[in-house]
This record gives sequence, structure tokens and C-alpha cells, in this order.
Amino acid sequence: MTNIALLKLQLLYHGIRAGQNLPAPLANPFGLVHLVLPEGLSVSVHLNENGAESPFTLRMEGTQFLLDIAGSAPVSVQWTAPLRSYHQKTSSGVLVSDILTVHGDFIAVHPTHACRFGESGLSCRYCGSSRDISQHPPFTPRDLVEAIQILEQEKRCDVVCLSSGRVDTPDGGVERLEKWVTELRKHLDVLIALDLVPPESNEWIDKTYAIGVDALYYDSDFFNPNDEPRKDFEKHKSRQLEALEYAARIFPTGAVLSHLVIGFEPLEETRASIDLLIDRGVVPVLAYFPPYGGSNLRSKWTATPEDTQQIYAHLYERLVRTRINPHWVQQYDVVLTSLEGRFFSNESPRYHLRLKNFYETRAGRALRFGMARLRRHLRVREVPA
Amino acid sequence: MQVKIDTRPLVIVIAARWWRFPVFMLMGYALYYFYSQAPPEGLSVQGFRALIVFLACLVLWVTRLLPLAVTGLFAMVAPPLLGVMPAKDAFAFFGSEPVFFIMGVFILATALLKSGLSARLALHLLKSGSKSPKRLVLHIMLTSALLSFVMSEHAVAAMMFPLVVIISKRLNLTPQGGSYGRILFLAMAWGCVIGGIATMLGGARVALAVGLLHEAGGGTITFAEWTRAMLPIVVVLFVFCYFLLTRFFSIDIQNVAEADSAIEEQIRDLGRPLMEEKFLGLLMIGAIAGWVFFGMQLGMASISILAVVLLFMFRVVEWKDLQEKMEWGVILMYGGAIAISSILNSTGAGLWFTKQFVLPHLNSPWTLMLALSFLSILLAEAMSPSAVVAIVVPIGMSVAKQFGLDPKVVIYAVASASGLAYALPMSTPPVALAYSSGYLKMKEVLFPASLMAVVSWLTLLLTARFWWPLLGIHVGG
Repeated sequence: MTNIALLKLQLLYHGIRAGQNLPAPLANPFGLVHLVLPEGLSVSVHLNENGAESPFTLRMEGTQFLLDIAGSAPVSVQWTAPLRSYHQKTSSGVLVSDILTVHGDFIAVHPTHACRFGESGLSCRYCGSSRDISQHPPFTPRDLVEAIQILEQEKRCDVVCLSSGRVDTPDGGVERLEKWVTELRKHLDVLIALDLVPPESNEWIDKTYAIGVDALYYDSDFFNPNDEPRKDFEKHKSRQLEALEYAARIFPTGAVLSHLVIGFEPLEETRASIDLLIDRGVVPVLAYFPPYGGSNLRSKWTATPEDTQQIYAHLYERLVRTRINPHWVQQYDVVLTSLEGRFFSNESPRYHLRLKNFYETRAGRALRFGMARLRRHLRVREVPA
Repeated sequence: MQVKIDTRPLVIVIAARWWRFPVFMLMGYALYYFYSQAPPEGLSVQGFRALIVFLACLVLWVTRLLPLAVTGLFAMVAPPLLGVMPAKDAFAFFGSEPVFFIMGVFILATALLKSGLSARLALHLLKSGSKSPKRLVLHIMLTSALLSFVMSEHAVAAMMFPLVVIISKRLNLTPQGGSYGRILFLAMAWGCVIGGIATMLGGARVALAVGLLHEAGGGTITFAEWTRAMLPIVVVLFVFCYFLLTRFFSIDIQNVAEADSAIEEQIRDLGRPLMEEKFLGLLMIGAIAGWVFFGMQLGMASISILAVVLLFMFRVVEWKDLQEKMEWGVILMYGGAIAISSILNSTGAGLWFTKQFVLPHLNSPWTLMLALSFLSILLAEAMSPSAVVAIVVPIGMSVAKQFGLDPKVVIYAVASASGLAYALPMSTPPVALAYSSGYLKMKEVLFPASLMAVVSWLTLLLTARFWWPLLGIHVGG
């Protein structure tokens, strides 16, 4: 029987080919086809990005969608139609798809259109900056609120994640995003996550929590093997780890996350990085973003889906043992989440799955949002400077 | 302001933030329980309920579960809600003369601060103090005390504090190194405390006590009468305090000439006196003369409010300044205190309480004097002086009646003693500010402060025994 998590990784790695009788449009404006695999695993997969080499073909038989796998029996999947909201416009005329990208109940936004990954010239599967960045029209916080309100009429969204893009300021990008957070807090009942770089001092972390941010993605550049080594690398790394550790004390358990890109470094190093983060209370999000065929980085990619199984199992088991809440990883259709690592492990995920299911109910959502607000109300204090 | 995230376990954070709610619920239940009981023998239903309100206010003022001003508002609304008296009668107490006198005095103090006149006066008083370390201590004490004669000691401390910080820095004093810095900050704080009892302007507690006296039908005390009664206490305490500070703590600095240049710099920064400052100076002299010579005929409040009107006519302050800098809450607290005290008096609850619980333990007017002054000094270490007055004066006046004693004695004793707090940071703002400098450690201050408190109590008693009779104030017995 197919391991569903492995199938998801294989889909992320190879993409799919379009078979017969498929509805149109099949993919969303970012070229992603959204499927739900057995066991409820969501995946957004690129259509034909790897040419004819993909062993997966999606086809429709009657009302049923089937995924043909070369050499194996087909797997029944569900297909989710692209959101109609993407094609709507805000009152100032900005297209919703130019403002945000939706991953399940998670909304990704780059207010400045400066995705750190997209800047490298590669397509970003996560944020939608894969298209030419210069083509994006500017938008305001008010536009963002309207776009989310349009979206909410079509589907429920729990978390909005705002990314700062590349920043070199001591605040790590939080000042740039403050007005966006304020506007969201003013108009919408959502959880807010920020994607930042670790700031130079811990006061910025306090401020980030105080302005109304519920979760943090701190991308630590010392994990990135492509960067030129800095002269003060050790000092820089030490400060970034200190910031991560401090943030994990300030934010709720599991609400501080950090991306680790798999495939550009030996897997043992990735495993060590996972331990480094979890020891500090930070949840690693393993980004399995294989460069598309034709990219000059494709040849440097070393992690096949089969190779990475043990890494995901390790991540899942460490998280379960350290009792860090894994439910903040929400962009679950473009990465394999830590909780989905359970398919590679023998440890029981019963408690976390129950909690996940509860969070998806109306009462669970209300409790989760209420607890986030209450926690902030209790913990944030104003003191004389 | 900056944000700080409380990372203690959530249970502790909740307990620290919300412990008041169960206490309020408990208080509410206790109020309801007593409200539904029959009154004790000899006490009317209205009197019983007035006593319940007073006890609730007492708990709130002592514990500061609510801001003092909010408890004051509660004291005004609770009597009509519990059927003690009609609302219009309860709220009418807020319109009493002392409330408006206090308001006027506070506005004048705000104008003094805002115009820079008080800072100019302070700097000129300090100017010649930098000849020797002891002389600098004397000048800081003297400046704080003298300014507290004409404005609230809180405002004086707030103004003096940055000056003392500047002087300490110029003298390279540090909180860890040596004791001279400690002496300077204590000189400022205790100077304010001692000077604050000299006139009715040093702290609003005197006006509040006089207001309680007036509402209870005990007459009034004029500005001049009060000052005459207090001057010996002020002089003795000032001298004792100076010797205590310069003998108890070692003066570990030889030269304070640098302080002189710091003061000179500050004076230079102020520039020439502005027209507003000159006018305000004249106005203050006129107002004090008015309180001293015409206080009885025109009323203290009329003079202070007239001075305020003149302030605005000559545009010395703007209303905006008052909105930002005035302690408006204090006015509300006083309105409530006067209301509850008068209600205790008019319903006979105060008298009943005194007969039941206080009189059996006192056998002469002097024991009353001893007890009231001691209790007031003790309570003032942990409570606002005004709260002490609001709690102790109504009971004290009821006891005084039983002894056939002039209730003014109670006012003199309690209103002065409640201002004499030296040790704890929660006592008065001058002491709190001195602690905030970082130079004071409680264990080092506790002994000299206790000495000050004991000497203050004895001086008050001796003054009452030998000086007050010369002014026609007789404790009797």
C-alpha cells in the first residue's frame, strides 16, 4: 500500500501531468493544482512543470478523480476547484490574486512583493511571487482587508501570514509590517503570523507580540548554504539562535517556526538543524521545494522523497516527545508538515490529531482565537521606558 | 512607555492580574450579607448601612483595590443606592467649600510648575548651597521644605527630583558608591514631608480635614491658625532631620563645587524671568495674604478660585495644561471622603461605633491624642495621607465629642501626623521618588526613618502640650 506522506513528497518533487476529461481551469493562477489525498492530506502540485517525466497523471473518470502512478494502482483523490475569489478585485481595483495566496486555511501575503526566496530568481511555490514581481500592482492594508473579506465569503481562513521580504534593519522587518497588522486586527477575526528575520535585540520580539502577532516564522540565514559565509558568522548565528529561543518563550508553544530547506545540504546536517531548533522550542518547517526542471539548481538538489523519510520521522518524533504544539504549521499543501511525518513513524499521533480535528470545528476555532487574545491580554504590559 | 511580556506561568499571571475579582466578589457578598441583617441595638437602619459603606470604603482605601478617586465616587453613590439618603443630598457634599479650595490650590501648583517659576525659585534657593557638602544638604532640605509651604509636596518633589539627579551626576555619585547620594535624596524627600505640614498648601489633607470639620458643624480652621500651630513642629523636625542626615550617614565627599556649576547651568538655561512668572509670583503672594488675612470673611475656596480666574485672565496657563498635569482624581476622592464622613455623622453611625469600639479603650482626651497621632503616623506609612484623614478623622471627631473636646484638636493631630511618613515608598510621593533614584535601600533607611517618626510623634505631643494652649487649643485632661 502507498505511503500517503511519501506520495505527497513525490508529487511535490515530480509534479503531475494532466490526463483526460479534466475540468478547466484545473490550476489556480499560480499554476498549482490542489488535491486532497487519502487520509486528508492536502497538496498543491505543479502541473507539468517537470515535463513528461512526472510519473503521476491526474484524470477524471465519471465524477471521480484518479491519480495514475506509473507501475502502481491508481489512487483516488479529491480535486479542489481554484478559488473564484482570486479573480475578483478590491474597491481600488487590485486583483485578489495579486494580494494573497491561499494554502488551505492559511493566507500568505507579501505586502512589499519582496519574497526572500523569489528574489533569488527562482519561482516561489509558497507565496505566489513566482510570477514577475514587477508585474504586481501596489496595494494597501485596506486592500488586503477587502481581499480577505472577499475570500471569507468563499472559504474559511484562520491564519494570515505577512512576510517582510528581505530586510537589513535591526527590527527584522516588524516595523514595516506593523500598520498591516494593525489594520487586520481592526477589521478581521484571524490569527496573524509574521515571516521575519530575527531582530538584533529582544525588545523587537516583545513588540512583535504586543502589536497583535500570534505566530512567527523566523528565517535564519545561517541555515542557508548558498549564502557567502559572513565574517562574523559565529556571532551572527549565536544572536539568531538567541532570538529564536527568546521568541519561543514569548510566543505560545509551537508558534515560533523556522523554515529549513531540504535538499541543498547533506540530510545529516538538516537533522542536526532540526535538533538545534527544537532544543530551543522552535518548530522547524521542512520546506521540500525541489527546483523546477531546467533550473540550474536542479542538479544540486540531493534529496529524493525516499531519502527524506527518516528526516520527517525524526522531526515528528522529536516534536511529540518535547510536547511542542505542531498546529501552527498551516501551509500544509506545499510542505509536508511535522504532523504528517507520523506516516513515517510508529509513534501514535492520536492526541495531536484529536486536537487538530477540534481546532477545525467552530468551537475549537473560537477557543483557539479566544485563548490567543486572552494570552496576549494577560502577558503584555506597558512599563515606563 | 515600552512593552514587556510577562513570561511567568500563566496561572501566576492570571492570579497577579485578576486576584481583585474574587476579592470584589467577596466584598460584594459581605456587603449584601450585612445589608440584609438587622442593625445592632442603638443604631438606625440608615446608620447601619452608612457604617457598611464606610467600612467598604476603608477596605478599598487601605488596600487600593480601586484608585482612591474611584473609591471616592463609590462613597458618594453607595449611600443613595443603599437607601441611606436621597441621591441629591449625597451628591451635594461634593459641592462643599474645601473641595473647591483644594481644586484651586492644585491649579495654582500646576501653574507654578508649568511656568517654571517653582524651578527658578528652587535653583536660586540652592545656588549658594555648594560651599560644603553639609551646606548642600541643608540647602536641598530648606528648598524642598520652603517650596512645600506654598505648593503641594508632591509637586515640589517632582520638581526637585531631576535637580538632585543632575547634582548627583555632576558629583559622580553612584547608587553603589558611598552614602552622600543617599543623603541628598533623603534631604529632598524629608524636606518636602516636613515642609508639607507647615501650611494648608503643602498637601490637600489639611483642607480635607478642615472640610470634614466644617461639614460636622465643628467650625473651621484658618490658614494662619494652622500655620501658627504647626511652626514649632516644623522647626524642630527640620533641625533634627538635618542633624540626623549629616550624623547618621557618613559624608564621604570633600568637595561639592561641581554642584554649583550644575545649578548655574540650569539657571542659565532658564533665562530671564518671563512676564507670566512675575505675575504668578505676585498672584501667589496675594493669594497667601488673602488666605491669611481674609480667609475667614471671604472663604478659603473663594480666594483660591479667584486666583485661578486671574491666572486664566492673564493667560498664565491654558486649560489644556491643566487637563494634562492636574491630579483631578484627588478632587473626586475628597468629595467622596467628605460625603461619607458627613453621612456617618448625620446618621449617628460614627457616634455609635465610637461608643461601642473606641471609647471603652480610652480614658482621657490625652489618650485620644496619643492614639490618634500614633495611628495616623503608622497608617501614613502604608496609605495616602488623605485616605488616613478620611478614615481617622470621622471616628476621632465622634470620640472628641464624647470627651467634650474641641474637634479641632483632632484635625490638628490627624492632619499633621498623617503627613509625617518617612520610611516606605508607598507612603508619600516624595519618599517614593527618592527610592526611585536607586540610591536608597530600605534596610538602610528604616532605622533613621523610624527615628524621625518617633521624634515627630513626640514633637507633636509636646507641641500639643505646651504650644497649642497658647493659641487657645486645649487638649484638656
